[in-house]
Amino acid sequence: MSCEPEHCITCGDIAVEMTVVELDVDGALALCVDDAGGRQTVDVALLAPVALADRLLVHAGTAIAGAR
Amino acid sequence: MRFVDEYRDAALGRALAGEILAAVDPARHYKVMEVCGGHTHSIYKYGVDDLLPDNVELVHGPGCPVCVIPMGRVDDGIAVAGEAKVILTCFGDMLRVPGSRQTLLEAKAEGADVRMVYSPLDALRIARENPDREVVFFAIGFETTAPSTALTLKRAKRERIPNFSCICNHVTIVPPLRALLESPDLRLDGFLGPGHVCTVVGARPLRFIPADYGRPVVVSGFEPLDILQSILMILRQLGDGRAEVENQYRRVVPDEGNLRALEVMAEVFELRPHFEWRGLGFISQSALRLSEAYADFDAERRFSTPGVRVADPKACQCGEVLKGVIKPWECKVFGTGCTPEHAIGTCMVSPEGACAAYYNFGRYARHKEAV
Repeated sequence: MSCEPEHCITCGDIAVEMTVVELDVDGALALCVDDAGGRQTVDVALLAPVALADRLLVHAGTAIAGAR
Repeated sequence: MRFVDEYRDAALGRALAGEILAAVDPARHYKVMEVCGGHTHSIYKYGVDDLLPDNVELVHGPGCPVCVIPMGRVDDGIAVAGEAKVILTCFGDMLRVPGSRQTLLEAKAEGADVRMVYSPLDALRIARENPDREVVFFAIGFETTAPSTALTLKRAKRERIPNFSCICNHVTIVPPLRALLESPDLRLDGFLGPGHVCTVVGARPLRFIPADYGRPVVVSGFEPLDILQSILMILRQLGDGRAEVENQYRRVVPDEGNLRALEVMAEVFELRPHFEWRGLGFISQSALRLSEAYADFDAERRFSTPGVRVADPKACQCGEVLKGVIKPWECKVFGTGCTPEHAIGTCMVSPEGACAAYYNFGRYARHKEAV
């Protein structure tokens, strides 16, 4: 997950699409990867249940929507 | 890049620009406000405004969460950061927002333990790892970010983490839009709706704009083709004499929003009676604080904060920029006294701020025009 000088996704109301690559046992957290290869642990409680390879819209470490 | 390149296709962009040109009435001037700072950033980054006819003017709105934080709230954060044992955590841009005397980054340089986090979950992890310290999260953001803070507070309560608390500065998008629509200085023809806020709240809360004010709204994505298509949809509504809420960002935004996120927010937060917005003044019921059920996690109750209202520096015209009354380059200190490195106003701090976006991407194009 990048926070380049000209673009900070957690600070603005910006969200990025990420893909689920790993799920924890209770399904509340997921390891996700963005299209640039950045990885982040994401809280998926608002969308649970999610499955491997699901595309999620992630903002500030939380998945807020599914992406089609 | 999959799912990104498709929305940045130059040929499709040029085709949309042609459709926009065909849709405008040459005798009319159109003012369209992009509500969200993310849109402002994309518009300048990709030169979207260069593809528009001269009589279609984009006006920047108040939707940058960093830009609307008043100086008094920054001072409150700095005061808490100065308390014994406190680790103050916040998103990166917030560190550089000027308070009345200094920024959080300068407070850190003077010895306060201020740390940047990417997510409120990171702040909670710091609290778990430092049980002998008080970890405070300085929460900012619109409805996009509020669910993340709410989930973290629920987790903190469930895990009984006593050394975690939150200074809540979350704001809501509808009250400032209503304030702008009531403002006599601004005559807007339509709105690009905030795509990511609408993933949470849905498109319905924006219906008051066509219903009460007769203006079209199109909820828009953030890629250049999303923005061009949304502008075209607004122009077509205006051409047809329609005013309604349309959803261009359907691939992400459901009409009803994210109901689970709204439930979590309703449990953890309640509306503040008043909140001060930079440049817009006090707006009723426009911000969130922690509900009684989460009072134990409210840093404003746990620590004493000055809570003083501080006037913006006289040279700063962020208020007019946030209301779309002036363009960033029309501010007296733009690019001279106020730059991203040494910002006077908040709009120059965040990359989503209109001034910083324009400074980083747009000023060169303007120089070219002047030549």
